[in-house]
Amino acid sequence: MLSAQDNEMITRTGPGTPMGEYLRRFWMPALLSEEIAEPDSPPVRVKILNEELIAFRDTNGDVGLIDNNCPHRRASLFFGRNEECGLRCVYHGWKFDTNGDCVDMPSEPAESNFKDKVKVKAYSTEDWGGYIWAYMGPAESMPELPEVGWAMVPESHRKVSRRLQENNFVQGIEGGIDSSHISFLHFGLPPVVRDDPARAGHSLSNIDAAPHFIVKTTDYGFVYGANREAENDSYYWRLTPFMLPFFTVIPGGTGNPDERTYSGHGWVPADDESCWMFTYSWNASRPLNEGEGHGASFLEKEPRTMRAVMNKDNDYGIDREVQRTKTFTGIEAISIQDSGIQESMGAICDRTKEHLGTSDSAVIAMRRMYLQGCRDLLEGKEPFVPKKGSAYRVRSVADVMDKKVTFEETTEKVAVGAT
Amino acid sequence: MLNAQDNQLVSQTGPGTPMGELMRRYWIPALLSWEVAEPDGTPVRVKLLGEELITFKDTDGKIGLIDNYCPHRRASLFFGRNEECGLRCVYHGWKFDVDGNCVDMPSEPAESNFKDKVKVLAYPCMDMGGVVWTYMGTLENQPPPPMFEWTQVVETHRAVNKVLQESNWLQGLEGGVDSVHASYLHNNDITNTTRYESRSAAPSIEVEPTDYGYAYGSVRHLSKEEGNFVRAYQFIMPFTQLRPDDRRESGASPKVAGHMWVPIDDENHFVWNFVYSLGDEPLTDADKAKHSDLAYEVIDINNGFRCIWNADNDYGIDREVQRTQTFTGILADARVGANLQDRGIQESMGTIVDRTREHLATTDRAIIATRRMLQEAANVVGDGGTPRGTGPSYYKVRSIQRVLPVDVPWQEGMKELLFEGAEYSPIMQ
Repeated sequence: MLSAQDNEMITRTGPGTPMGEYLRRFWMPALLSEEIAEPDSPPVRVKILNEELIAFRDTNGDVGLIDNNCPHRRASLFFGRNEECGLRCVYHGWKFDTNGDCVDMPSEPAESNFKDKVKVKAYSTEDWGGYIWAYMGPAESMPELPEVGWAMVPESHRKVSRRLQENNFVQGIEGGIDSSHISFLHFGLPPVVRDDPARAGHSLSNIDAAPHFIVKTTDYGFVYGANREAENDSYYWRLTPFMLPFFTVIPGGTGNPDERTYSGHGWVPADDESCWMFTYSWNASRPLNEGEGHGASFLEKEPRTMRAVMNKDNDYGIDREVQRTKTFTGIEAISIQDSGIQESMGAICDRTKEHLGTSDSAVIAMRRMYLQGCRDLLEGKEPFVPKKGSAYRVRSVADVMDKKVTFEETTEKVAVGAT
Repeated sequence: MLNAQDNQLVSQTGPGTPMGELMRRYWIPALLSWEVAEPDGTPVRVKLLGEELITFKDTDGKIGLIDNYCPHRRASLFFGRNEECGLRCVYHGWKFDVDGNCVDMPSEPAESNFKDKVKVLAYPCMDMGGVVWTYMGTLENQPPPPMFEWTQVVETHRAVNKVLQESNWLQGLEGGVDSVHASYLHNNDITNTTRYESRSAAPSIEVEPTDYGYAYGSVRHLSKEEGNFVRAYQFIMPFTQLRPDDRRESGASPKVAGHMWVPIDDENHFVWNFVYSLGDEPLTDADKAKHSDLAYEVIDINNGFRCIWNADNDYGIDREVQRTQTFTGILADARVGANLQDRGIQESMGTIVDRTREHLATTDRAIIATRRMLQEAANVVGDGGTPRGTGPSYYKVRSIQRVLPVDVPWQEGMKELLFEGAEYSPIMQ
């Protein structure tokens, strides 16, 4: 449970809000690189952290992320002409480069210097791991780019996507660091199993549906996990790293950890009542096969809103007969089961009315970290932000281990390269 | 730039707001005459200045514009029975005439005089120029009829229609007194560099205040030999624009076109489009298209006069057309003219543009003048005075465009045509 005040604090991310300012101290995905693949291609609307922005790739391939509204009379730059190293407003021809400088103002007299006085808001961007990342915070606080797994491999080794979810971003994260729901919400899935093809992990996670979760704070956020009884005096361990401010890697797969395909999500606030679920899958050892990667990256979406076509307007396609006889929810895709249940809590979940159990320990840890970050900012202190990109070189664990291996020892295994 | 308070003041037009009270000093277009053509026909919902109203034509052909809500228990009179000189609420049968009097109250005992004590809000209406006009202010301030020249020419020489715009009304008006954007937003042939608007893309804007509003000229210098290309507009308080509609290429007789931007509520308005001919020959279909019923091919009259290209489909922008042919890639055919481009860009500013964050330049002079004039007039009304444009002085004014020698100021060179109804003799009714 959170007080109404704390719930407000962690869920509101507009400019000037504590959580908004905290998130603005991280690099965060804004859109997919492929959405603006070509120089001078059409600009794309991007709404993140309650700010309406426009992304474009200029003639030289540089990426701009600027205010949606032209500073002149506030027309949307979405309709702009992306040409000759800048985005030109179609209302009066004012043109801005990727730094936000006004480089042409043809509607004013030639002798005017007004263009040198006008700027449009522009954020730093990086094209990294298939995403365009934005940094929207103070320049002096900018951390290194996070060396997340999917960014450290060639393009052919990863699959990335984004889609809109109609709920506050914190609900998304809370679903992502809540391993215990997979025994219920995702139970009985016929064709796709989130673990290995042999379904070992999946069936193991179904045996003990009430594992005990342990959390350990790390230099990237925390890692949490649980063990379940397995055969031959061993435990089946599932560990999920939570990388600040909102990235997860889902436990799954079998075999050599260096050769597994990993997947995860990060939830970026669009506004306070909707968020972008960014999904990533990667394999460090080989290119991904056609169709390989997290199911969320293969959902059919509405082209303009980027919502899944299975959404709240059609109750996520719930089939009550399937629910009665085959699966726990009657909703087909795993990712839609997640977004459906998260959206069903209301756009902003009223956490004054919830009742957390022991299996919610990671959720509690994440909120504490957020609240701490917010409070530090309110007190004028710099909050904890992983500054080193290398801190993000982690992955998940899903392995059967001898009972003598401690939780502490298992958490070492999330480090890339650990065996 | 406006501060937040002033931005509210100029945007909001509900009852009791300063701008709302100002607008209630003028005749306002309420709906098209054909929408209430039939005596005893179907009542029509009308929302004006934030007020929900119902209009109907009674048995005698008189037009009523009354409160949407029956004063009894607030049922909507839209469902009413329009019969025998009055609109009867279908809930309990109370009946009101066009003046708002309750003329029948069958649900009360015959001896009751309650019906004589109950009235419904009713505004006077006038059918002129294909438009039903209403006056929503107090009786003692009612101005003379809105006899714009275009309402007075014969039907064959004029056209009028309306389209929904999903933004505050002032964004529409501000676009309409901003001649500068013609060089950009409406550049529908980016390969043609001979257009005056393309040759001279930073016109000087000159505003001449009058007692009905102002005239302004956008002066585009071409060359010393050729002179200046001047488009002279009229702004008539509180929301009417007149602009030249000469089709230079055709050699046809000159026409004047215009818009009225009429608030529905603070986040929506109707853009009224009209055109009339100053010559002897009637308007052709080509002249009329975007100002007339012909545009209803793409304006859905069964969906609140919303254009089929709208915010939901990014106004049909075609990026390939934008890259190679037109500045916007937004369609500008005969049925939409430049209006779709205007509507798109104005709606894109947000429903009520945040004017605390804009950066006005020298070419925004007419926009600044408009805001000042509106604020000044709202103050005049607040102080109990009479605002500009409530007299008949605008009846004869027009808009024209000319190429003038560089040493002839348009204020002089166009005076008679702009202000004095000279030269042309349009066919009057």
